[in-house]
Amino acid sequence: MSAKKTQPAVAEKPKSYGWMSEYVDEHSLLAASRKVRDSGYTKTDAYTPFPVHGIDEALGIKPTILPFIVLCMGFVGLAAAATMEIWMNAVSYPYIISGKPMLSIPAFIPVIFETTVLFSAFTTFFAMWGLNLLPRFSNPVFTNPRFDRVTNDRFFLHVDSRDKYFNRESVRELLAGTNPESLEEVVEDSTPSKFPTIIWMGLATLLVGSFVPATIIANMRASNDEYPRWHVFFDMDFQPKKKAQSTTTIFADGRTSRPQVPGTVARGQLEEQDPFYLGYDPTKIAGITPANKVLLVSSQDEPKAPSLDAPVEDEAAKPAKETEKANDAKKEEPATTAPAAAPAAAGPNLPWVTDFPVAVSSDMLVLGQKKFEIYCSVCHGVGGDGDGLVHRRAEQLQQGYWLPPTSLHDPRIRGQEVGNIFFTISNGKGKMANYAAVLTPKERWAVVMYIRALQRSRNADIQDVPVDQRAKIEEVKKAD
Amino acid sequence: MTTHKTESDSLKLPDAWQGKAYLLMAVGLGLICVSGLIFFIGYSDARATAFKIFLHSYLANFMYCLSFGIGAMFFVLITFLTRASWNASVRRWAEIISMTIPSMAILFAPILLMVLANNASPLYEWNQAKEDIRETIVQQKVDYLNGPFFTARAVICLLLWTAIVTYYYKQSRREDETGGVDLTLARQKWSGPLVMLFALTVSMAAFDWIMSLDADWFSTIFGVYLFSASMFGFFAFMIVSFLLLQRNGKLKEYVNIEHYHDMAKFLFGFTMFWSYIAFSQLILIWYANIPEETAWFKDRVEGDWAYLTYGSIALHFAIPFLGLMSRHVRRHRTALAFWACWALIAHWLDMTFLVMPNAGPVSMPMILGHVLGGLGMFSIFSAMILVRASGVPLVALRDPRLPEAMSYANPLL
Repeated sequence: MSAKKTQPAVAEKPKSYGWMSEYVDEHSLLAASRKVRDSGYTKTDAYTPFPVHGIDEALGIKPTILPFIVLCMGFVGLAAAATMEIWMNAVSYPYIISGKPMLSIPAFIPVIFETTVLFSAFTTFFAMWGLNLLPRFSNPVFTNPRFDRVTNDRFFLHVDSRDKYFNRESVRELLAGTNPESLEEVVEDSTPSKFPTIIWMGLATLLVGSFVPATIIANMRASNDEYPRWHVFFDMDFQPKKKAQSTTTIFADGRTSRPQVPGTVARGQLEEQDPFYLGYDPTKIAGITPANKVLLVSSQDEPKAPSLDAPVEDEAAKPAKETEKANDAKKEEPATTAPAAAPAAAGPNLPWVTDFPVAVSSDMLVLGQKKFEIYCSVCHGVGGDGDGLVHRRAEQLQQGYWLPPTSLHDPRIRGQEVGNIFFTISNGKGKMANYAAVLTPKERWAVVMYIRALQRSRNADIQDVPVDQRAKIEEVKKAD
Repeated sequence: MTTHKTESDSLKLPDAWQGKAYLLMAVGLGLICVSGLIFFIGYSDARATAFKIFLHSYLANFMYCLSFGIGAMFFVLITFLTRASWNASVRRWAEIISMTIPSMAILFAPILLMVLANNASPLYEWNQAKEDIRETIVQQKVDYLNGPFFTARAVICLLLWTAIVTYYYKQSRREDETGGVDLTLARQKWSGPLVMLFALTVSMAAFDWIMSLDADWFSTIFGVYLFSASMFGFFAFMIVSFLLLQRNGKLKEYVNIEHYHDMAKFLFGFTMFWSYIAFSQLILIWYANIPEETAWFKDRVEGDWAYLTYGSIALHFAIPFLGLMSRHVRRHRTALAFWACWALIAHWLDMTFLVMPNAGPVSMPMILGHVLGGLGMFSIFSAMILVRASGVPLVALRDPRLPEAMSYANPLL
């Protein structure tokens, strides 16, 4: 006793955190819990190796408010996602997606749903931690060595000394009366509770280190340097290969690009020569004008449409240019100076194919109709009048910049050679995209065939009708 | 001796209910006849339309009542598949509900006979001579959708379901005599394959019986839709029937608030699941916007059907979802009774939504006749349950998992 008095610093009693009793099964734990609850203690807790049904009720634990927090945050998530989507797509940046209205609730619902779930899940997780006062690195109950068996086969009941009605002696008596396996006082954890220096130093280093790359990048972007830049992947920046149009010492002629081997045909070269694939005869181009030689070369270079915008110096090209100007001025006189077959001065003047390079048959017409209705009719209309759904929609939206699709019954189009129409389908024109990627050459010719049939249908005379059906038409005419 | 007497008394149907089965049956048949009469009076100048509406109404109400059996069958199967113990005390009632399937099959026979006779085109548009079908898409489906093959599939479905529910019911009844675990183990063994069979047959039935009403429309998720709707209706029916039984002093010591709580959780869950499936079906069709797919929804958002369609969002999802969300509601008998009855009505509206718009625009006689027909079909269905349940203990007393079910408690959140 006297020794303790002389060394008060060492013998100072550790702070008490109440009493903890130990039981061998959940039934005695439940009985003890009820007894403690009925005595009015509320700052209590039970520790068990597995979930014990009824323990909450036995300890008098009140239902948690977690579900309400989660519900509120779920609604917040719902409102946040709805506001975000409506504001973004309907207000801030209205953009038609798949032809849907700007404010399309069905399209927003998946995101709203996911965000509601996300907010709820995060709230559940973090609010649970918060309500449990976690994270906590130490708890006074761990000071009891017998407590280790709580994860195995023992049940513990703890009455905290911070309880309003806590009295050291009466609680001890109360717990002793529940036939515990052991009954011990919970004392303050004397092990250092300070966060290990090495860990927080490490974390701080990591945090500072994470700014290094960003700092380097920012510095490099903001400053000039007399040295060449770093090549992090040197062999990717400098590869041992030659680029086109450069020189080499490997070949005698010093060119890196090798000429075609005699007697071979390059991939796709056949298509560049055959009128069936082009709509015009490239072998005849050279004969027309020197300007068209330029076209020939350019059309072989790339599949893009040759354009008359290319500089034309030759005199022979002048008539075409004049016609172009005339059309621009919206003059309706037929272009007399241009060849009769090519009044379309807005397009290239090429030796067009004038007859179908494929056999005209009803099968081809049916194919043409099918493809026309799939790909062409959306703009040009099922009848070819330039009144397709896209056009009508654009008019509905009153889009001033909309250029109406051409009517295929326009005299300009009717006067075009089949090859010219084929060329337009293959290469596109103005706002019209090219359809070479979705229609095979044969299908394109079939579409041209069908367009011809459509045009004929508006300009037919009685001689075009089979003899046995003429009478019918006459009748209708009379009736009108 | 006295305690034994009261105990077995508690397991029986209430005495007042015992003799009501045949009365209910008669009332039900009468109501269905009245509903037909209302259609024919309301459409006195268009007999064909009246007949068409009557058939659609009959089918919708039939599917409504059958869906309880379908839900019960799945509930029993999944119980054994997951070796669940919480529901050992309520499973017998589910078995009794599932045993309505063989009897309900009889009510489907008129539709099958009409389809076989190949003149029931008022119901199924594919059910006529191929050259009479207007739409080419439907014409191309007649290899699958034709009278004999349709009937064969329906018969196979109904026979399989009858076999499944009868096996599980008989084994359960045998267990009442023998006890032990062997019969439970046998049912567990079969539950896995049978759940798969259940999924296939329910999908097939949903595609055939309801989806093919609009024969050019298709939705691959439709089987799941019917399944989710059935489970929703089934749990509502379970809750209502136990509340009624206990009000009459039965099963008090076998079914407690924990069991209600669990069934209500399922009801709550399937509210969400149904909405998830219904919306999944909608958004793909809405987004793709292909005429042959949107036609089905077009029928349902035009005219007065739009009230039902948009109303379902609130009635079948938003309101019961928020209503059943709280644990306190799910553990409160009166509140639960309210929401379970709500769900029963919402489920009936859902079946109406699936079938009736194909019969034409809404009219007063249509609503009146359909409601009366629904009440009639439900009376017949209740009579089937009463007949099946009389003289049968309403709890599987010797189920090895019953003690666990009785001591089960939901953890306090």
